[in-house]
Amino acid sequence: MEHLLETLGRNMFGIFGLLALAGAAFMVTARSAVHSVLAFLFTMLCVAGCFLSLEAEFLGVAQILVYAGGIVVLFLFVVMLVEISKFKQKARLEVFQNQSRVAIVAVLAGVAAFAGVFRNAIFGKASPDALVLRPELARGLDVAKQNAQAVSRGLFADYLLPFEILSVILLVALVGAVVLAKSERV
Amino acid sequence: MTGFAQGLLDALLRDAHLITPQLFLMTVATLMLWPGDLFVNRGSKHQWAPVTLVILAITAMLVVRTENGLGFGRMFQMDGLTRGFELLSILGAAGAVALSQRVLNGLKQQTVEYYALILFSLSGMLFLCGATDLISVYFSLELMAVCIYILVAYLRDWSTSVEAGMKYFLLGAFSSGILVYGISLLYGAAGGTTTNLADLNQALALVPKPDSLLVFGGVLMVLVGMAFKVAAVPFHMWSPDAYEGAPTPITAFMATAPKAAALAAFLRVFGTGFHGLFTEWVLPLSYIAGASMILGNVAAVKQVSMKRLLAYSSIAHVGYMLLGVLSADPVAGAQAVWLYMAIYIFMNIGAFAVVIYLQGKGEGERIEDFKGLGRKHPVLGFAMMMFLLSLAGIPPLLGFFGKFYLFKLAIEQGHVTLTVIALLTSAVSAYYYLGVVNQMYFREPAEGEAPALGTLPTFIVGVACLVILVGTAFGPWLLEWAGKVALS
Repeated sequence: MEHLLETLGRNMFGIFGLLALAGAAFMVTARSAVHSVLAFLFTMLCVAGCFLSLEAEFLGVAQILVYAGGIVVLFLFVVMLVEISKFKQKARLEVFQNQSRVAIVAVLAGVAAFAGVFRNAIFGKASPDALVLRPELARGLDVAKQNAQAVSRGLFADYLLPFEILSVILLVALVGAVVLAKSERV
Repeated sequence: MTGFAQGLLDALLRDAHLITPQLFLMTVATLMLWPGDLFVNRGSKHQWAPVTLVILAITAMLVVRTENGLGFGRMFQMDGLTRGFELLSILGAAGAVALSQRVLNGLKQQTVEYYALILFSLSGMLFLCGATDLISVYFSLELMAVCIYILVAYLRDWSTSVEAGMKYFLLGAFSSGILVYGISLLYGAAGGTTTNLADLNQALALVPKPDSLLVFGGVLMVLVGMAFKVAAVPFHMWSPDAYEGAPTPITAFMATAPKAAALAAFLRVFGTGFHGLFTEWVLPLSYIAGASMILGNVAAVKQVSMKRLLAYSSIAHVGYMLLGVLSADPVAGAQAVWLYMAIYIFMNIGAFAVVIYLQGKGEGERIEDFKGLGRKHPVLGFAMMMFLLSLAGIPPLLGFFGKFYLFKLAIEQGHVTLTVIALLTSAVSAYYYLGVVNQMYFREPAEGEAPALGTLPTFIVGVACLVILVGTAFGPWLLEWAGKVALS
């Protein structure tokens, strides 16, 4: 029993990862939209578990807050407001039948390209140095006692400009939604 | 305040002067949305365009006054290239805003958000012109593009506009994915330490042979993502539909300002940034440039819609401008592209002003609608003829000098085949541009009185035509001046 628990503890990332994949598969195939949303919630919680098992507490908690808290509620609202029932009976297999040949060729081409590009990265020798973001940031990470501290250094010191541009992009998306849906025009 | 926070503030205050124009634009655009819109009454909402033009003029002044420098963790650089292309983007945006007022008033679709989105998009372009890190290139591209997706779909009651916006958005999101994937490959190939262009250039040159496919794949994907943004063949599919469906002033905007900014990024990333990887991207980019010239010009011949014709012609012009990016001498390439883009903006905004004038009469934008324009409205017809002949590059008009400098550079750099293709396709382009001139002068005009042009469009057509006529006289010295004024 103790041995089993220990194994579980060591493979936390893999377990949560597989559960997340299973949830995602169920989300895509579920017939009812509400089931899909619940499966999505489950997947997001599992991804948060993955983050936690990698000692990225800040990302894990943010994942739960943003996805499990905010986005799932938004999805549920959409599901309730839009009448899904009339789309239910449409056979979803048709789509696959029409596109199967093209899809198979595209997937095979994608796999070949991926294998070609990553041949060396996957099967080659491992790099002697650990993967770090930037040398100056890595020094910051050593100093930072907690994960959240390191994230804040990344956001506000090294990637300040992209972070600010990103905030403007979010503002623009909001304005765009209002322009397209609501704004009064004269 | 702790040391870390104090350090952040110091760094921000030290670098903030580099992005004064962008900060000004974003602040003013936000203030226009709120509380600016609350204080104007319904009737005055028609007057947002002149206000926006004043803001653009102030931004241009700020851009000129900003000093050279590199900041924000080497993510943004202000230099001659940045300043020159920033001014071109502002010029394109100003032209589009000046053309917007009458159109939106006529359609009863005037809002302050329209102008605010143009300003936000412009701030993205200004960031893009000076971005020296793949991360900041990507985010500035997105800020620029997201605003344009919305503006293309702006006429929400018109199915063509919404369809165009949707197509553009989906394909744009897809191409962004490719671009980011390419960036991640390069980041990995360089050892996962940097996305800075100068550092990447050094690190990627040292990548061992077995990993070179990773580098090639990454460069190729970044190339695809960027080619999509400038609408180069074979990544041009969205462009004719988006141009046709968008409100016409936005079409004029898309054909000028974002192209200038995206070409600046092209020059920065490939011309100066990945200069050490020249052998990796020179062949794919040559194919893209050649295909753009051929397909853009050949497809334009059969168009019946003037907006689609101008869309295909802009694809072809991008093909010509990519010749400058292909130059092994980045400074000379940047000068030639800058001059070409500046001339192209004047011709294009002028041509769109005439298209908008014809649309205002309730007719479509078909090429047939131009029939008899030269007789009914001689001055406007003459101006349009100048724009078209100049777009075709017929000597001695200004457009000829733009092409001449670009092609001369390409031959000097050894791209002889591409230059021959460019010359032949220019001849093809003369055919369809002259087809429009033929409609204007040798067909009977339709019945009815010609309405007035309106103050701002008259100004635009007048200035653009004047620049072409006066510039023609100074053609032989233009490149020298372009180098001195803009790219120092």
